[in-house]
Amino acid sequence: MRTGIENESPRRGRAAAVTIAAVVVAVVFALIGFASTYTIDEAEQAIIVQFGAPVGDPVVEPGLHFKIPFIQEVRRFDKRLLAWDGDPNQIPTRGEQFISVDTTARWRIVDPLTFLQSVRDQRGAQNRLNDILDSVVRDHIAATDLVEIVRSKDWEISEAALERAMAVEGEEEILMKEVTTGREELVRSVLTTAQKQMSQYGIELVDIRIKRVDYVESVQERVFDRMIAERQRIAEQFRSEGSGRAAEIEGETERLLAEIQSEAERDAEIIRGKADAEATRIYNESFGADPEFYSFFRTLESYPTALGKDVTVIISAQSDYFRYLREIGDFEVPLPAAGLSSDTDSRREP
Amino acid sequence: MARRRYEQSPMDEFLSQFDARTGWLVLMVTAVVIALAGLLTSVYTVQPEGQAIVKRFGKVIAIKEPGLHFKLPFRIDRQYFVPTARVLKHEFGFRTASTDEPTAYRKSPQHQDESLMLTGDLKVIDVEWVVQYRVVDPDQYLHRVEDVDKTLRDISEAVMRRIVGNSLGSDVLTEKRVQVSSQARDELQQILDSFEMGVRIGTVELQDVTPPDPVKPAFNEVNQAEQEKESLINEAEKRRNQVIPKASGEARKLIESAQGYAAQRVNRADGEVARFSAILQEYRNAPAVTRRRLYLEMIDEVLPRLGHVYVMEEGQTGPIPLLNLDRSPAARPPATR
Repeated sequence: MRTGIENESPRRGRAAAVTIAAVVVAVVFALIGFASTYTIDEAEQAIIVQFGAPVGDPVVEPGLHFKIPFIQEVRRFDKRLLAWDGDPNQIPTRGEQFISVDTTARWRIVDPLTFLQSVRDQRGAQNRLNDILDSVVRDHIAATDLVEIVRSKDWEISEAALERAMAVEGEEEILMKEVTTGREELVRSVLTTAQKQMSQYGIELVDIRIKRVDYVESVQERVFDRMIAERQRIAEQFRSEGSGRAAEIEGETERLLAEIQSEAERDAEIIRGKADAEATRIYNESFGADPEFYSFFRTLESYPTALGKDVTVIISAQSDYFRYLREIGDFEVPLPAAGLSSDTDSRREP
Repeated sequence: MARRRYEQSPMDEFLSQFDARTGWLVLMVTAVVIALAGLLTSVYTVQPEGQAIVKRFGKVIAIKEPGLHFKLPFRIDRQYFVPTARVLKHEFGFRTASTDEPTAYRKSPQHQDESLMLTGDLKVIDVEWVVQYRVVDPDQYLHRVEDVDKTLRDISEAVMRRIVGNSLGSDVLTEKRVQVSSQARDELQQILDSFEMGVRIGTVELQDVTPPDPVKPAFNEVNQAEQEKESLINEAEKRRNQVIPKASGEARKLIESAQGYAAQRVNRADGEVARFSAILQEYRNAPAVTRRRLYLEMIDEVLPRLGHVYVMEEGQTGPIPLLNLDRSPAARPPATR
């Protein structure tokens, strides 16, 4: 076996050498091929750098591109909109109120060459942006009243809301404050001011917004206290409105009561009075026919009622009833034989 | 022989074992592997909830619908899936912790920072909201904005704070909720369109809108006070409704009884008058006797019921007791006229 190999080896060696050479050539071509092409993604742009010096225009078109292998290299940059997020800053407003302002911005690399030269990469750009945007925002906030930062230009306050605010001291003043710039205007101004400084970095600042405006902690507590006080005042107002209205209803009830009762009493008296008058008229009409007899008749009628049980009465012996105890009386009347029973006789006597 | 052996290097050793057959074998295997890899990397599926962006050397060449698709192999063509049919959402001021029944929500101090904001009357309010959106342009969605989620969150917060900052806290708590959310939706959409982000905002929904925690008890106190007010008024009205009908009834009773009295009075007058007239007529026939009879009838009735009747003789000082119904000796002081 060993002899066989040794015998055939020159032929085999030739074949192997050819194959290896082919492989090597293929690898070299592949290397050159890879080194002379590059792809640019949709989200990318690039600069070709030859020994450190930029060559040609930035490449922005996505797809397959060619370059001189090994001596040119590709520096890639993001083509998309990039985020910048500042740290929340404590800034005093024009009204000396300390607030914490958190801004967020959107930017993109528009001139990769300038970008590369001035800030190198995205981290460098973020640093520059931190410096510029923080200071611009700070300047603007410090020159603006809090209401202008919070509200927008089209701020308006309804009559009803104003009326409600009247209950709380100082509230109306806050609400009535005219908004001259407003948040949108402020932000726009920040944007234009900051944009001016961007071109030197090859950056376009697309958008900047105030993400959050908050009171710093100590102020926040005071605001909460103010809100609590305001709520309590409103609660108090409700309660006193309630008891006021209740008292009003009670008063009304009492008035109605008095009216109803007094009207009824008046009407009752009128009815009674009319009846009494009517009765008097009836009595007068009839009794007037013989007042003397009426007096006699009515007096007799009243004795049984007026003189009750166990009443002691002292009567003169001369009285009509008792005079017969003493004497028989005059004899104008016929003899007792005729008797007291004879009504017919006495009727004749006037 | 010795010379050849001398020339034997490791390379020669390797080459000496290399024959055409094994060479072919290696070549074949390599070719098959490459072909297989090519086949595998040229087929892909797109899931039903989205679309795929196909890029050739980084350039977008197609957008594919769900299904099985082919492409150039070896990462020449690459596909990127974007869930365009799915409704995506971001939560602000809270997070859904689990979707088990019942859904659990979480609110940490960090989320609190998201939701606490200033209102136009410089108060503080806690607004939680949800943004629902869909990707409508997968090309833009992938290639125009670096961090889509962060941008969406940042802009949402900025927009919501601007709108709430331009409203009264009490309005946001009550009647302006709908207005705030639709305004936020429109504004957010407009800004994201200017970024060419390729999303459509479905809804911006306000969730819990409350006063900040330390102030909540005071807000509850107001509600309570409002109810107290109502109940005080109701109580007073209830009392009025109880008292007034009763008083009206009593008033009617008073009038009725007065009318009763009136009827009685007139009727009695009529009756008495009738009787008197009748007697008077008879009396006129025999006045003296009638008079005396009436008198005596009265005496009959009155005298027996009396206690003591003293009959006084004219000029005498002592009365003569006619009847002494109590048996005790008469020790009274003499009555004088």
